Amino acid sequence: MNNNLSRRHFLRSGTSLIALPFLESLGFRRFASAATAAANPKRLLFMGLGWGLTTETWFPDPTQPGADYEISKGLEPLARHKADFTVLQGLTHRFVNAGHQGSTFWLTGANQFAVPGKSFHNTISADQVAAEHFGLQTRFTSLQLDCSTYAGNSGHGPGLSLGWDASGKPIAGHKTPVEAFHRLFSGENTSLEKRKALLKRRHSVMDTVLEDAHDLQRGLGKNDTAKLEEYFDGIRDIETRLSKDEQWLEIPRPKAPIAEPKPGLAGYEEIKLMYDIMLAALQTDSTRVIGYRQPVDTLLTSLDIKVAPHDMSHYHSTMAEKFDASQRRDIANSELLAGLIDRLKATKEADGSSLLDHTTIAYGTNTRTEHNGDNCPTLLAGHGAGLKMGQSLVLPKGTPLCNAWLTLLKGAGVPVERHGDSTGVIKELIV
Amino acid sequence: MKLPCSLFALALLTPLGVYAAEKNEAAMMNERHRVLLKDNCEGCHGAEKQKGKFRVDDLSFSPNDLQTAERWQKILDALNSGEMPPEKEKQPGTKEKADFLDDLAHVLVSARRHLSDQHGVITLRRLNQREYKNTLRTLLGADVDVSELPSDIDAARFDTVGAGLFMSSNQVEQYESIAMKALEEAFALRAAAGVQKKFRYEVEETNQKLKESIDSELEKHERASRWVKALEEAASKPENAEIVAELRKGSKNDGVFRRSWNKIPGAPAPEEFGFTTNENNADQANRAFSRGPSTFAYQKRYLEQPALDTGAYLTIQDQDGGLNSALFVSIPGDFPPGDYLIRVRAGATPQATPERRFLDFGFKGRSRPVSSCHEVTGTVEAPEIIEIPFHRTWVQRDQNAYRLCVREKGTADSNEQIKLKLDQGKKLNGVAPDFAIWVDWIEIERVPETEAETPPGIRALSISLDDKTPAPKTPELRDALERFAIEAFRGNKPSERYIDRLIHLYEDARAAGTKHSVALKETLSVVLASPKFLYRAEPSATEARRKLQGHEMATRLSYFLWGAPPDATLRALAENGELLQPDVLAQQTERLLNDRRSREFIKAFARQWLNMDRLDFFQFSAELYPKFDFGTKWAAREEIYETLAYLLRENASIRDLLKADYVVINSLLASYYGIEGIQGDVFRKVPLPTDSPRGGLLGMAAVLAMGSNGEHTSPVERGAWVLRKVLNDPPPPAPANVPALTRLAGKVLTTRERVSAHQEDAQCASCHRKIDPIGFGLENFDAVGLWRTEDSFQARDNDGKPLPNAKKSWVIDPAGAFHRGPAFRDFHEMRDVVASRTDAFARGITSSLIEFGLGRPCGFSDDALVESIVQKAQKHNFGLREFLHALVQSEAFQNK
Repeated sequence: MNNNLSRRHFLRSGTSLIALPFLESLGFRRFASAATAAANPKRLLFMGLGWGLTTETWFPDPTQPGADYEISKGLEPLARHKADFTVLQGLTHRFVNAGHQGSTFWLTGANQFAVPGKSFHNTISADQVAAEHFGLQTRFTSLQLDCSTYAGNSGHGPGLSLGWDASGKPIAGHKTPVEAFHRLFSGENTSLEKRKALLKRRHSVMDTVLEDAHDLQRGLGKNDTAKLEEYFDGIRDIETRLSKDEQWLEIPRPKAPIAEPKPGLAGYEEIKLMYDIMLAALQTDSTRVIGYRQPVDTLLTSLDIKVAPHDMSHYHSTMAEKFDASQRRDIANSELLAGLIDRLKATKEADGSSLLDHTTIAYGTNTRTEHNGDNCPTLLAGHGAGLKMGQSLVLPKGTPLCNAWLTLLKGAGVPVERHGDSTGVIKELIV
Repeated sequence: MKLPCSLFALALLTPLGVYAAEKNEAAMMNERHRVLLKDNCEGCHGAEKQKGKFRVDDLSFSPNDLQTAERWQKILDALNSGEMPPEKEKQPGTKEKADFLDDLAHVLVSARRHLSDQHGVITLRRLNQREYKNTLRTLLGADVDVSELPSDIDAARFDTVGAGLFMSSNQVEQYESIAMKALEEAFALRAAAGVQKKFRYEVEETNQKLKESIDSELEKHERASRWVKALEEAASKPENAEIVAELRKGSKNDGVFRRSWNKIPGAPAPEEFGFTTNENNADQANRAFSRGPSTFAYQKRYLEQPALDTGAYLTIQDQDGGLNSALFVSIPGDFPPGDYLIRVRAGATPQATPERRFLDFGFKGRSRPVSSCHEVTGTVEAPEIIEIPFHRTWVQRDQNAYRLCVREKGTADSNEQIKLKLDQGKKLNGVAPDFAIWVDWIEIERVPETEAETPPGIRALSISLDDKTPAPKTPELRDALERFAIEAFRGNKPSERYIDRLIHLYEDARAAGTKHSVALKETLSVVLASPKFLYRAEPSATEARRKLQGHEMATRLSYFLWGAPPDATLRALAENGELLQPDVLAQQTERLLNDRRSREFIKAFARQWLNMDRLDFFQFSAELYPKFDFGTKWAAREEIYETLAYLLRENASIRDLLKADYVVINSLLASYYGIEGIQGDVFRKVPLPTDSPRGGLLGMAAVLAMGSNGEHTSPVERGAWVLRKVLNDPPPPAPANVPALTRLAGKVLTTRERVSAHQEDAQCASCHRKIDPIGFGLENFDAVGLWRTEDSFQARDNDGKPLPNAKKSWVIDPAGAFHRGPAFRDFHEMRDVVASRTDAFARGITSSLIEFGLGRPCGFSDDALVESIVQKAQKHNFGLREFLHALVQSEAFQNK
């Protein structure tokens, strides 16, 4: 309950709570100047990879950690950005033991069985924690992108995107680049009148229940009035959200910096297009938090790989073409990511800094290979959270993956003290 | 919020445990402990030194303000953690220190209860998740999934305590959307009123599918064998020797070797034998080759069984598939919501041993927990019909929710268990497990409702609910909305302006082109998210007490005994004020308790009072306890509910919960407890022989299983549970930072030896000397509540592998003595001592009923209330109903 209250408190007070002394005390790098920090908002991108990666060839050699590590085969295409990313090893989710679910708990760290008698339970995902903080300034609180085919084929597990809301419920994602493009740049499907009417109705509903609340309150004593205040708080929260929707209602959508995508693309080209759309969303400041469950099945097909995606992750039994497929998949993914980083670097802010300077990418999955939940492959890129890039970081076995999310969130200026099963920040990431 | 609450729940009353040396007055540290402080603390923490700015010499021995309580807490913490006195300083004697800690811990619990006593104030209560669901069901006849709402269950308090029930913006919107679903279902129910539907699944069609699939598998195997043979021939040619040797070297088995067939000149392609996939075609052929006739022995045996033309057998899940390890039936999509009956016509085979004559019934697929478990009383020749009622809801969020499943009891709870049963079955006859249950057919029938069953919310509307007839005019709608709101608000009137706004909502929607039926549902869903529906308000402008009004009393009573809103009878008696007369109130209490809806009280109360959620905390090891499967666990849980239902029905004494010469069980539990001659699913009173360990809570499988971790018994957990729930002498909260007992790790000891180490350190002994003996007294019950006389311990390495020569077996010695109380030789004698403590037990149950029924913690200021209820009940032999009557008739229950 406390969490909700404090979160609500933050919502109301806007962003003024990004307290620099608080960050400094933890050793975070101070931003060049307060003015620049304010002008260039922080952005966070989360990319989930579903079925694991090739353990043998994706991770850099764990015996040679540090800045002078040798780029691994699977990361080869990212070599030109070596100073802009850090690979982490040793991270895990204590509670997660579900090999077919690379994304369900990836950003949450929840214990599926935390509630006795219930077979599924989840908690808020790291991207949504960030969205609660950054979301009030942009048209879209956050953007969820999803693979176009059944997510189970790509090893993502239950869920509708990477995002899980404050009550641990899944948030739906846009399943194609075309859909996402229209969401961002073409406006709503419904007419302005209809949307206005809908908002008006929401206000009327709130007015109606408030009428009843006031009527009830009239007879109540001090204690009960204080209790009923929770209800009023809830209504005020909803009103805050509605007024944000209203603010944006008549502001026309920004002009799309890219052409409307062609429908029907799948796999490699689909991911590339989604990256284009993510970049366009950041350029137009439509949102500052994006999550993407990337396709694995169609990626393989587009690379002309015939191995079934699930079987590929069991390459240990036969090696040969399954092992080969797994590695080719890693390299394709790394190429795509390298391409996105190129573009983030090339996109300049007004002060001459690049978009990559203000963006952080969290990239990885909850299963390593053959559905192993230990040593979750994790790559962080970009300088938006002031984290130390350019290293191969080998952490003690069993370090909570949520420590990485906590470090990322704190670094980006989100006022959180814990996330999931986190036990603290990862000091090695802090400059 | 949580801390004081947890203290309340743990410490139900002043420690009345008769075996405590003395009664602690409210919150007063006994003067005799001053010596310990003087001798061991004051040297550094006295008037002169005041180390750490902390002194004990001027400390009041009655910690009745927060500051003093805090200082005592510091002393307790420092002594418990071993931090004080410092190592080199003079230490108090072990017994002296244990007594000091024992008393201080209890005094602090008392002090905090005093300091946080609410003096009977009841905070505004929101409907909790359970009540909200029941209320929608009563009002609309709709049974909807409310699991997205907070569960409101908290180990530290009852889910009725208003102060702990919160509200958030998410919830407000969830209430609205859940209400919308409930209304959709209610409207659909209305439209489907009187519809009768029936569907029968003749299960023998599965046999044909099995036969076809086995034939196809065997045909594939035959083709694959020919391919392998041809390949081996090519491989054995001398000219291929070199390449074959190299390939074999790089392959960890024959299958992998065969994947490289195309590198061997002259070897045939698997495609030629009909194996094609996207990948390496050898994989398919390899798989088919590895599965020959011996793989399908179980299936072949199945196909040889009699009566396959009219029915099918349930089997154990076998990875080679095709067999009916469960029978699934989906309810056809066009069957409307409503009450349904599922009928399974089945019989046991001659091979079915008594414990294999039960069916698990459930939804959502194979491995989910069972909804219920049923005895198969018929035979294959003379099958009998098992009838299972259930309610089908409208919103099908989860398709699987309507996929029902029957299987033999305990054949799919876990993979370990399946393997175990397969292996056992194979051992028995050399081939495969015997078939125990034959099913003739499964039938699904929708039972049409009668007009009398129209739910009150729908009846209150009495306007058109569909779009076939003209939509009502404003005045008509206005009246309908008002009637609905009054019904939903349990007799409270909505304000004029509120109804105005509802009308506007409806009319705006209509103006925007929304159909009447939809606009109406949307409008009504707002009523069901409004505070007067969500909160049970008992308005009172001043903080002074006042008598409840009629409908407030009706609401309090029906949520207490039904967990649901008052019905028409209660409402009418509330309206004319008669409900406030004691005799009418007593009659109504009787009526509510006699109604089957009082089952809701039993379940909700017992689950929380006895902390039954612990039963779900652990997986019970299938290897160690094969008998305690999902079905048995379900029945064990039901035993608690059914026993309380029996006490309530017969107004039997709560003494029977401490010791009884009977149990309330069905055939499944009778077979589990080894009681013969009981048939059928109905729970009933069954007399016990005098030497039986059953009878009363302490002999119930569910209670004993809760005191384990699924593998081993936990004497500490059991002992603490008995102190809390039975003897009403709860141990104080376990202290933090007590140094761990590490020296015993890896040693091969009996449970008693291991646990007894607690008694050596004063900080552990202070509580464990009370807890552990009771736990030892229960050691004759294993982790799943079965009787045993021996136990053993096997030390294991970090990977869980048994270590050699590290096993110990011993005969259980249950003898012991209550701390400062009587000694006992065995469980029976211990139970006799417990049974003599009816007064303490009665006080415990009374405090819990007060908290549950009034929706506020039971504080010190309730001592007189507790006492009067216990006395009244005692006059009637402690009959369970008497407690409820006494509480309902009390001033506390009748006052705001």
